[in-house]
Amino acid sequence: MTTTTKESVSSRRPLALLLVWSAALALVACGKSEPEPAAAAKAPAAPAAEAAVFSVLATTDLKDAQALEQMVEKATGVKLRFSWGGTMESTEAVLTGKAQADAAWFANAKYLLSDPQGQARVKLQEKIMLSPITVGVSESAAKKLGWDDPATAGKVTWKTIAKAAAEGKLSYALSNPATSNQGFMALMGVVAAASDKADALAAADVDRGAIASFLKGYKLVGDNSTYLAEKFIEGQGPRLNAFINYESWLLTLNNGGKLKEKLVLVYPKEGVSTADYPFMLLQESRRADYLKVVAYLKGGEAQTWLARQTLRRPISAEVAGQVADLFPKAGGTLVELAFSPDRQLSDGLIDAYLNEFRRPIASTFVIDTSGSMEGHGRRAQLVQAIHYISGDDSSLTGRLAKLTDRERVWMLPFSDRPRQMTYFELPAGRTKARGVQIQEDSEAKQKVLGDVRDYADRLSMSGGTALYDSVLVALEHMLAERKKNPGYQYSVVAFTDGENNQGRNLKAFQEAYAQLPEDVRAIPVFMVLFGEAKEADLKAMVQITGGKVFDARKTPLYAVFKDIRAYQ
Amino acid sequence: MSKPGKVVLTVLLLAGFGAALFFAMRGQKAEQEQKAEAAAIASATELKGLIALDVEPFFADPRVRRILAEKRLPVTVTRIGSREMAARVVPGAMPDFLFPSGVVAANQIADAAAKAKIAIAQSSPFFSPMVIASWQPVAKILVANGMAKPLGERTYGVDIAKLTETMLARKRWKDLKGAEAYDVSRGVLVSTTDVRRSNSAAMYLALTSYAKNGDVVTDRAAAEPLARQLAELFKRQGYQENYVNGNFDDYVAIGMGKAPMAFIYEYQLVSHALAKKGVAADMVLMYPQPTIVNKVVFMATNERSRALADLLANNAELQKIGVEYGFRVADTRVFIEAVKPTGLSVEERVTQVVDPPSFDIMAGMIDVVTQEMAK
Repeated sequence: MTTTTKESVSSRRPLALLLVWSAALALVACGKSEPEPAAAAKAPAAPAAEAAVFSVLATTDLKDAQALEQMVEKATGVKLRFSWGGTMESTEAVLTGKAQADAAWFANAKYLLSDPQGQARVKLQEKIMLSPITVGVSESAAKKLGWDDPATAGKVTWKTIAKAAAEGKLSYALSNPATSNQGFMALMGVVAAASDKADALAAADVDRGAIASFLKGYKLVGDNSTYLAEKFIEGQGPRLNAFINYESWLLTLNNGGKLKEKLVLVYPKEGVSTADYPFMLLQESRRADYLKVVAYLKGGEAQTWLARQTLRRPISAEVAGQVADLFPKAGGTLVELAFSPDRQLSDGLIDAYLNEFRRPIASTFVIDTSGSMEGHGRRAQLVQAIHYISGDDSSLTGRLAKLTDRERVWMLPFSDRPRQMTYFELPAGRTKARGVQIQEDSEAKQKVLGDVRDYADRLSMSGGTALYDSVLVALEHMLAERKKNPGYQYSVVAFTDGENNQGRNLKAFQEAYAQLPEDVRAIPVFMVLFGEAKEADLKAMVQITGGKVFDARKTPLYAVFKDIRAYQ
Repeated sequence: MSKPGKVVLTVLLLAGFGAALFFAMRGQKAEQEQKAEAAAIASATELKGLIALDVEPFFADPRVRRILAEKRLPVTVTRIGSREMAARVVPGAMPDFLFPSGVVAANQIADAAAKAKIAIAQSSPFFSPMVIASWQPVAKILVANGMAKPLGERTYGVDIAKLTETMLARKRWKDLKGAEAYDVSRGVLVSTTDVRRSNSAAMYLALTSYAKNGDVVTDRAAAEPLARQLAELFKRQGYQENYVNGNFDDYVAIGMGKAPMAFIYEYQLVSHALAKKGVAADMVLMYPQPTIVNKVVFMATNERSRALADLLANNAELQKIGVEYGFRVADTRVFIEAVKPTGLSVEERVTQVVDPPSFDIMAGMIDVVTQEMAK
């Protein structure tokens, strides 16, 4: 019907004019009685505070850009809020559609976007900025390796780096290859350099020896850049002389004045992998807000801020020209490592890293079995968490959380005092001669996992809380084991739901800890905060022992256990 | 006062009043006409169109919206993939126009329309040749190895047959003569977007199939083995960006280390340059010889949308705005004059142009490449 009217506008002019005239008159006539302006005044536009939050799931390496929340809101009115996650965990959340977010912002989304399911989740994407993964080497170590000379540094490949690691000349901090982009891409760099293939790597191309060499230098493990940066500042020295991370984090450390010595940045020849920070729309209904945010992020103000404050390279060529002085001029072109979309390669490599290549984990789980654990479903949560790490969840994050081949676990329950320890050891898997692939659990491994689950089922709760005594016992035990078997990565995971009320107090613990041999510093304590446990006390304890407090008061316990696994 | 005086005064008063009335009425009429004009513009029903991403910024431009409104041809447009448009050819529920990118998708739509007995008028107000965006050092290596020749200052003609042979022979950059400036062990490859989802990558397949076949592929039996052979040009690239600007973004933002040669629409780099987003001194455009000129095909389904087609093709201002978004238009001088101040070099006359294969052949080849990539 309307179509007929509009056709006549163009074709039959007089009639059209008449119609228009009457339409215009009708409009004028109505104009006076139209209540619209008044109504509009009475119903004020929703204030910004009530605007729906535009939630963004971001990888933790973007925490230094959190101030964008306010900047975006001020400039666009969009109430942007970040939530944080590791790369693999966040990738899985988006893949499965479980991400409760309107948008996602990852350092690298190639793993997500090489999957058809992932492609379908992402409605729009825009790259916001750039930061290549580089190797920051303490000046003194760089000098010894000759890498302080730009001409020599320009020839360093991932193969050279793996060799230096194997020879003990390079000991580095790196976030977990199984959970983070930096760690994973570093492994891929080694794989590519060792294979010498011109393009597109496959699972069968993995040179196992090269990875083993490279991982000999892997000294500081963790899952987020803030934690690793803190620990690196503390531990920088002959036994920890390099940090593999995004250029932005390394430049920030160099400018921060807290390092014992500055880092020389080495860009592996033909092996640079640049994070391009795609900002991705997940919820179609938020398209309009998404476009506003992207326009702002790619605009001059945000690009300049990101470059100056976070030292990431602008995607805007115009801004890049203005801030070029902030970034080192690596000799020649940075040739990128091609990202292989082959899932068999990436999944196989992660699996092999966890179960075969990495320094195996040896840890003592200090478990609160005091009477208070009986209430509020706490015991059930604990049992669930132990089942989770000994279960058969084959998802990305499930594989990370699960006990790995060769892993050694001691369970140390405590209440009024430390109780008896129970030991579990996971068998080694079969090693492939060439390449990588995901291995099925052997019967022997399934048996041990079953034993761990049975153990959890039998835990009984009663009595008080002798936390510090128990952590001390665990540390002494790990020290003794470390002496016997130095080839493992040692740690203590301690879990409590209340205040220490038996045995040593914090001060006495501190004194006892000071008496332990120096080597104890290599054994971090990962404390889980649960129930009525006192946050300040636990924080004070990890100040002494090194490690980190994980809060399980609002996050399910099993999810916290999973997070801890990435630090072990 | 004397009688004649009274008469004169009355006449004067009346004349004054009349004049006032006349002018008042005239003013009112002008005002009413303006209002009527505005109302007519406001009441003109919007033409509904399905458009390709290429022309989305053009239709979002406020100047374009203003001109179309003034001409009583306002539009509401929805962006969808060009290859999805044929499925929207439904009798009784036709959009007023479709504006797909490329003649392959246009032919597919035309086929569907012919089957549904819907008359469609086609025109190409904007077009853009497929080019390889590259870098001076890389272009010089191609010249040294007989695969390219300089055409102008920072423009090159590249022999697509020779380049395709080199890539299929799995040559590495460092294997080539005079490769000191790009002494890299990666294979010589042109980067593209994902052929499974994007028209520009399909044009690359069309072009390399022409090069390998020595002519446009018209034979279904020949297409399959050809596509199977060419699949490695996609597969060996590793991860490919699967959105239309991804490959181009890598070229401009990361540079030669990531994208030594990027297969793009000429308009992508031209619009980037015209928007003053930065043209590096060593950026060059290589024109494949032959190349494919990608037309944005305007497909009108009724009288009003045919009027819009005329307007897009003949309105000087709209054509000029099209050029601002990087497109070439019928009058090449408009394009050349616009690009000149940006510092980017373009080839004035694109010679040696071929057509892509028919839609069926293209679809079949894309299927084969998709299968090979999944292996």
